[in-house]
Amino acid sequence: MKKLIIYLFVVLLVQTSWAQVDRSTYPPAGPAREIKLGDAHSFTLPNGLKVFVVENRKLPRVAFSLVLDRDPIMEGDKAGMSGMVGEMLTGGTKNRSKDQLDEEVDFIGASLSASSTSIFGSALKKHQEKVLELMTDVLYNPTFPQEELDKLKKQAISGLAASKDDPNAISSRLASALNFGRNHPYGEIETEATIGNITVEDIKAYYNTYFKPNIAYLAIVGDINSREAEALVKKYFSKWEKGNVPTHQYAMPKLPEKNMVALVDRSASVQSVVEVTYPMEMSLSHPDYIATRLLNYILGGGSSSRLFMNLREKRGFTYGAYSSIGADKLVATFSAEASVKQVATDSAINEFIFEIRNLRDKGVDATELENAKATLSGSFGRSLESPSTIANFAINTERYKLPKDFYATYLQRLNALTVDDINAAAKKYLKPDNMYITVVGNGAVIEKSLAAFGEVSKFNNMGNPEVLVAMDANVTVDQVIDSYLKAIGGEASARSIKTSRIESVAEIQGTKLNFVMAYDESNQAYANKVMVMGNVAMNTVIKNGKGTMTQMGQPSKDLNDQELDAMKMSMFIIPELHYEDMGYTLELDGIKDVEGDQAYKVIVKNPTGNSQVNYYSVSTGLKVKSENGEAGETYLSDYQEVEGVKFPMTMTIKSPMLPVPMAAKVEKLELNKPISEEEFK
Amino acid sequence: MRKFTFSILLVAVLSLPALAQNKIEFKEITLDNGLHVILHQDNTTPIVAVSVLYHVGSKNENPNRTGFAHFFEHLLFEGTENIGRGEYMNKIQAIGGTLNAFTSNDITYYYEIVPSNQLETALYMESERMLHPKIDQIGVDTQREVIKEEKRQSYDNRPYGTILPETMKRAYNVHPYKWPVIGSMEHLDSARLQEFMDFHKSYYVPNNAVLTVAGDIDYAQAEKWVRAYFEEIPSGPKAFFRPNVTEPKKTAEVRDVIYDNIQIPAIIQAYNLPPKNHPDSYALSMLSTYLTGGNSSLMTKELVDKQQKALAVAAIPLDLEDGGVFIMYGIANMGVEPKALEGEIDALLRKVQQEGVSDKDFQKLQNIIENNLVTKNSSMAGIAQNLAQSRVFFGDANYINEEMKHYGKVTAEDLKRVANQYLSLDGRVVLYYMPKSAQAPETPAGAAIKSNSN
Repeated sequence: MKKLIIYLFVVLLVQTSWAQVDRSTYPPAGPAREIKLGDAHSFTLPNGLKVFVVENRKLPRVAFSLVLDRDPIMEGDKAGMSGMVGEMLTGGTKNRSKDQLDEEVDFIGASLSASSTSIFGSALKKHQEKVLELMTDVLYNPTFPQEELDKLKKQAISGLAASKDDPNAISSRLASALNFGRNHPYGEIETEATIGNITVEDIKAYYNTYFKPNIAYLAIVGDINSREAEALVKKYFSKWEKGNVPTHQYAMPKLPEKNMVALVDRSASVQSVVEVTYPMEMSLSHPDYIATRLLNYILGGGSSSRLFMNLREKRGFTYGAYSSIGADKLVATFSAEASVKQVATDSAINEFIFEIRNLRDKGVDATELENAKATLSGSFGRSLESPSTIANFAINTERYKLPKDFYATYLQRLNALTVDDINAAAKKYLKPDNMYITVVGNGAVIEKSLAAFGEVSKFNNMGNPEVLVAMDANVTVDQVIDSYLKAIGGEASARSIKTSRIESVAEIQGTKLNFVMAYDESNQAYANKVMVMGNVAMNTVIKNGKGTMTQMGQPSKDLNDQELDAMKMSMFIIPELHYEDMGYTLELDGIKDVEGDQAYKVIVKNPTGNSQVNYYSVSTGLKVKSENGEAGETYLSDYQEVEGVKFPMTMTIKSPMLPVPMAAKVEKLELNKPISEEEFK
Repeated sequence: MRKFTFSILLVAVLSLPALAQNKIEFKEITLDNGLHVILHQDNTTPIVAVSVLYHVGSKNENPNRTGFAHFFEHLLFEGTENIGRGEYMNKIQAIGGTLNAFTSNDITYYYEIVPSNQLETALYMESERMLHPKIDQIGVDTQREVIKEEKRQSYDNRPYGTILPETMKRAYNVHPYKWPVIGSMEHLDSARLQEFMDFHKSYYVPNNAVLTVAGDIDYAQAEKWVRAYFEEIPSGPKAFFRPNVTEPKKTAEVRDVIYDNIQIPAIIQAYNLPPKNHPDSYALSMLSTYLTGGNSSLMTKELVDKQQKALAVAAIPLDLEDGGVFIMYGIANMGVEPKALEGEIDALLRKVQQEGVSDKDFQKLQNIIENNLVTKNSSMAGIAQNLAQSRVFFGDANYINEEMKHYGKVTAEDLKRVANQYLSLDGRVVLYYMPKSAQAPETPAGAAIKSNSN
């Protein structure tokens, strides 16, 4: 009996413990703890510096963040200048060389950095005075050394070169140019020329104008109380002299009247970067600010949003599609973008427009709004873990003239928004018929399909419209070829070349490339070798009607008919002499801009459909550029006469595969000298 | 000489008490099924981080079935007996949370950060996938495709993306660290459903896991929920396969060139390290800071600022349970030959090996380390992860509070010693990453000739 009781007791116990959890449904949420925002203590120095102190003793660290609130500025022919101010500030002071400054910062394990509108310093509590001393040395005594500027300009120009081949950089440059226009600080574009124009004097003038306490906010966050902070601020920032800071106003960019397609033809693209965008008024202080956060999250803010679910999960056009709605005192943008499969470029644009229009017209449903609210509330809550968030809230409240309880009531206001509120915002802010649709991709494949979305305008990789020049309708393609042959010394001289051999050399990223080309007109033979650091990396030969290609480390390969036909387009030193007898067709496709020079565009096609495009200068008749799909663009320059015929001595190759343009210089050019059999092996 | 030694001693003694760490309080429980639980209470912000560390990584895999641990990182988001397909992520986001996971050579780590009133839901969900995740053909097929895209995105298509796998492949001949965490796509293609299920049974069990809860909790309530949801999960096998191989010391340098879709050449050097919990790890970490940590560090100052031969240099001790690699890389500046940059890197390395580190520099290193350690435990997510890793890698969650003490024992002389002992130039791996364009065929170098003749 006793045993039975124990047995039952055990069974009951076990059952109780099993019954404790019901795994078939989610547990209920506990009562939500009220999210309390810590307070920032604030005060203002007589010189106008506004200071916010957020005490947080969790970790023995203190961060000082100084921010300037100035209107955006136009830089004009010095575009790129403000991007260098920060590093120039930390490039040395009257008291410390750059080396000394770096050493002193690292010695206390601190961080110190600057930009054109900020200086940031942080360190352990025990080093707080030292980091303030270094920070204010940078603020008061920068020397702006010339050699530092030279280094930064070199880096900026390298970066610009790389960006011209980067489809994402091209896309964002184009979007800014369209959304804001060139006469707006957000639409200005840096070029080699504008970077080259920047001087130390410009940086100094900028510093003298804008680094003033009366437009500055200082946030102090960490293991420090307000009294201690106040004493430190008085000690280090009282002597900072105020001054008049100019203000600037700009016209509000306008929406396009109807959808407009802007294409950058990047022949090497295997994917299209698509963005639909337009300027809009939206800022933190705008009454619809929170509604537009929810609206955007539902459209394309995350991985469960509509754009992602449609373009990626449903259709597999892309790895990710997202949208954003900015917030800016001056002007913000709506943007939705994705890198999509080339063949799906038009379909993807179609889906973008569909989702934007559908959301505007049909609105949101209650569940997706609830989920969006939970997601945004959650991320607001998590952001409060970092004490700097409170300091940012305090600065924003002051800077954007927000109601005092803007952040304290943020979640309450977010959660009070209804389906109707979001639908109203959708109607007001989504503009499926007034967008710039920018595409960076292979024009030959996608251009025609884009016309369905609006007028297609073409732009270059710097966001400038391609210049179209009217051409005299009487000019024929034969005349262009004739004048080219005349320009290089006449057809007769050109035809007198029976054999030729060219050696040229290029350097890329420190690697030397040598090219040797040999041509034998009478035997219809051609060879070229590429040598990398002295080793033959590739050897291509055409002779006896056959072609072979040998690549380093691989057995040589016979070219098939199609490959041979393509290769033959390159087998003559002056191919223009052979277009007719090779059966190539030529088409004159107007006048284009080539590096500021007007040139006739001639499309050369062989019977099997391979093509290349040549550009002949309108003024000199010389061939200035040639392009084909694989090779990218080759610019021909520095023509010099050799035995009565002019040849380009520099060939600059631009290709997406190359980080920077590669200039190949001719070192040796021999005409009508016997070429050994070895060359054609 | 005596004076020199004395001053080092003095610096070491003086600096010891100065190296203070803020203490992380925590409670530990081990359930009957072997699940180790670490709780950390901090009620400042109403959020809580919940994580499960499974002590299984790519090194536990069968050499013919690599990529399984990482595969499970994906598979365990697919759903459970009670949580439908695709619901796991949506639910966490819909309660205002965020979640993610990662896999390394040694561990797999899952976590979510949720509003603290949703702690029970987060625990329920983690317990669900430990108790009975849904491992079915649909999930396996879907995630296999996702992982292929991930591989393209993160390795094949990303500039310099293959540095780590290419380095590890050469740094190890016998140890399973030689294969990449993401594994072989062929292995994943040929693996049958049953093999995935078996792998799960072998490693994803309470007695091979650490559950950590950090944030706005009540200790008693948190423990109650932990017991309610995790106690019923059956214990797994008594023992786990852990590779017991020692990578033999290399006696010859391994040198290779990799052509990648990059714009600027890079040089990588890798040196084999002792096991993660080896006392020399601290000196090696300080050495890496001496070489490239901060604008004033030896190599950054000399190669980036002064000579301008490099755009960037970095030394990273990738410490692993069975001994990782000390990776150094330099990205060459425009027009600088990789060889020229490598020569300078080696020269600086030799300088450290011969001359060691000055007292002043050593003190700087101590200050930087102190700052880094203080900053390390600044978020609930970070604390949860550090507690779990302390327990698994150092056998004691309280290691989180003792790291500074270990650093305090390192002397300047140790830095010189480990530089000589571990960074020996003749047993290392050296890789040159070169632009594909420098390789020639089908690329602009080849193209150049075609255009040339026009």
